[in-house]
Order: sequence, then structure tokens, then C-alpha cells
Amino acid sequence: MNYYRPTGLTEYFQLLADLPADKVVRLAGGTDLMPAFDHYRPLPLNLVDLKGLPELAGVHDGEGIITIGALTTLAELEHHRLVQQYCPALAASAREFAGMQIRHRATLGGNIVNASPAGDTLPPLYAHDARVRITAADGERELPIAEMITGPGKTALEPGELLTAIVIPKRPGASIFYKLGLRRSMAIAVVNFAITAVVEDGRFSQLAIAAGSVAPTVAPLQRFTAALVAGASLPEAIPLVDEDIAPIADLRATAEYRYTVLKNLLEHTLAGVLAGEAHD
Amino acid sequence: MMRLSGEPAYFDLEVTVNGRPYRRTVTTHRRLLDFLREELLLTGTKESCGEGECGSCTVLMNGLAVNCCLVLAVEAQGAEIVTIEGLAQGGTLNAVQQAFMDRHAVQCGYCIPGMILAAGQLLESEPRPSRREIESALVGNICRCTGYHKIVDAVEQAAGGGA
Repeated sequence: MNYYRPTGLTEYFQLLADLPADKVVRLAGGTDLMPAFDHYRPLPLNLVDLKGLPELAGVHDGEGIITIGALTTLAELEHHRLVQQYCPALAASAREFAGMQIRHRATLGGNIVNASPAGDTLPPLYAHDARVRITAADGERELPIAEMITGPGKTALEPGELLTAIVIPKRPGASIFYKLGLRRSMAIAVVNFAITAVVEDGRFSQLAIAAGSVAPTVAPLQRFTAALVAGASLPEAIPLVDEDIAPIADLRATAEYRYTVLKNLLEHTLAGVLAGEAHD
Repeated sequence: MMRLSGEPAYFDLEVTVNGRPYRRTVTTHRRLLDFLREELLLTGTKESCGEGECGSCTVLMNGLAVNCCLVLAVEAQGAEIVTIEGLAQGGTLNAVQQAFMDRHAVQCGYCIPGMILAAGQLLESEPRPSRREIESALVGNICRCTGYHKIVDAVEQAAGGGA
């Protein structure tokens, strides 16, 4: 197994041009990659460590946006002032993410590229209308997070492209993350969701909700939120959640449980938002 | 420059462990865990699950607690590593180690090196943690013997709150 650690994007793209594409594996935090490796024999692959790329590091303040480098660790997300201020749901998802040892290594970019239906950082990114910045040797493009993730474990990344940053628009209002696992810590979500909301005169003037572990990819609850913004009461709107999600039964929960528990948790949480309860 | 696929590749690793600089040639697929245990014979760092769930292999890497079963030795190039063997100063245990002894927080002992390093990390950022904060900081360290109460007691003692 060859190991490479390029020190800048120019060097990275030059290196990738020289390596056979099907034998390249990119390494960020390694917390999902390493358990999949056989550590007792060399693998027929070229491991490209991204952690030497300064272009993928840091959280930056911009006009109307914050930009989060793809290599930002969960621990950095948890503690960073800009993330806490402009994307509290993301900071909250990081705080509940595994244990400190994993949070010190796992990266936001890695959690996105893994594209797990249960990925904890994904609902906050959907609810905040985050975009991903994708860089290639000949330029860069941006995609909404919902277009980046195309299926379980699948993304819109083309060969030769690299996820370099996540762009989050600054916006007012509540930003909430909730995760239900089978135990409080170190658990994959049975359901997780994030909410961004603005309440005016006792109703939602803006509302976005994204739920994880209830569909092949994170599900934006569009019918449900549209009904609430149009003036429906919570009890009236809540059955619409069933139309926005398509959960399956797995070893963590049945589909029926996920339908029921998500609706119960949403009703409870949104009632709190309407009542002006503080959330982080 | 490229080697044949599946052939071992080697890397000249320079790393500081417990304050001492080392220079060793390692295979690129070697985990930091195996490097510490088998090359440096620092067997205080334990492997239980080998997949980042249990925290037995916790070490400090550039000051941060990590599971070294999830880190390749090559990724530690230039890094400062602290293992359980690096905590005692001149034969005197540090406060967390002593508290684990005093509070009988150890049964089989396999999780304890990781537990002590993770607890030390907590006390660095939060010198007076609540029991809830201690439990929360140690969620990545699994113990199958103690039931955790005495471990939390020991961390409280080390923090100066439960002596």
C-alpha cells in the first residue's frame, strides 16, 4: 500500500493524474475507513492522505455565509464560535457524535462523503440549505447538499473531484438537532432530525426540517413544513410526515416505530419552538 | 516511484513518544497501535475492539485523545504521542492514576489506560467537572467490569472534588 500526503491542492491533482483512479483511496479522519482495512497485509491500493491540504482546513467567516473546510473535525465543529453562532444544530450534532476520541479525528467532509442515511451531521446541513464546494483540477462547482448525496453511500462526486468545503448561509431563527439512539452515546441514530425555524405571531414564517434514518437519504419534510407555513396547526399537519419519509425496518427499529417516534418527537419539539422555548 | 499493488511499502517515521524521539522504518499499513505495542514495546496501550468503539487504545496525539487503532503509524509523522507509560513523573503516578488506585476503580484493568488518558483530557479543559460531565467525557471508553461508578468517583477525586 502506497501512502501519499500531498501538501497542497496543486500537488494533489498532479498526484491523482499519475495514479490509476480505481486504486486510489482518500483518507481524511479514517474513523470509518480504518475498521474496513485488513491491517495484517498490505493492500493493493494508493492511500492519499488529505490531512496535509491546507485548502481543506478551517472555518471562515464570509459575507452572509460561513465556510467550513472539509477536514474540519467534529470536535472543532462542536467548539467553534462561528458554527455555534450560525449553525447551532450542526454544533449540537457534533457534540452528540460518538466519543471524544472519534470527534478528534472524524471530519465533516468524511461524514458527507460516506453518505450514510443515518449520518448525524447531514440533517443540520439540509435544514440550513448548506452547499458543498467541489474542486477538480480544472475548476470548482457548488451543489446543494441534497444534490450532493444521491443514495446510501453514494454522492454526486465525479472521478477527479474532491469535496473541499461546506458553505452555510447565515440566517436568523431557531436551529435544533435531535437524535434518538438505542442508548445515549456511541449509538447510530434510530431517527435524527434538524429544524430551522422562524416564528412570527405564533406561527412559522420559515421552517425547514430534515430527518435521517427514515429514508435512503436524509429526507426533507417538505409537505409537512409547507402545511405548517401555510397555517395548518401541528395536529393537522403531523400526519403529512408519513408522506415525506420512507423508513425501513432494520436491527435498530421497525419502520412503524420510526413513523411513530418521529412524529411524536417533531410534535413535541415544534410545540416548544412555537412556545418560544430556548433550544441549542 | 510506484510500487506493485499489494506489495508492502515502507515509510521512515519520525515520531515523539512520551517525550522521546524515535526514528523507525514502518510498513505503510501498520497501525499506530501496533507500532507502539510491537515496535516500541509500550504494551500499556490495549486493543479490545479494534474498530474505534471501546477506547481501550486511547493515546494522546498532539494533545488530543484518539483511538490509535484507527490511526496509521504513518499518520503520526512528526506527531507527539503520549501513552499511559508517559504519565508518571519520576516514579510518581499522576493524580488520575493515583485516584484510580485509591478508589479501587480498576477490575480487570484492560480499559483503564484509555480511561485514565481520556479522563486526563477532560480535566485539562474542565478542572472541576460534574459527574454528568465526567460520564459524558468517557462515553467513548467502555468498561465491562466496574459499572463505572468507581471510575467516576476516581475522576472526581483527581479533580479535587471527591477526596
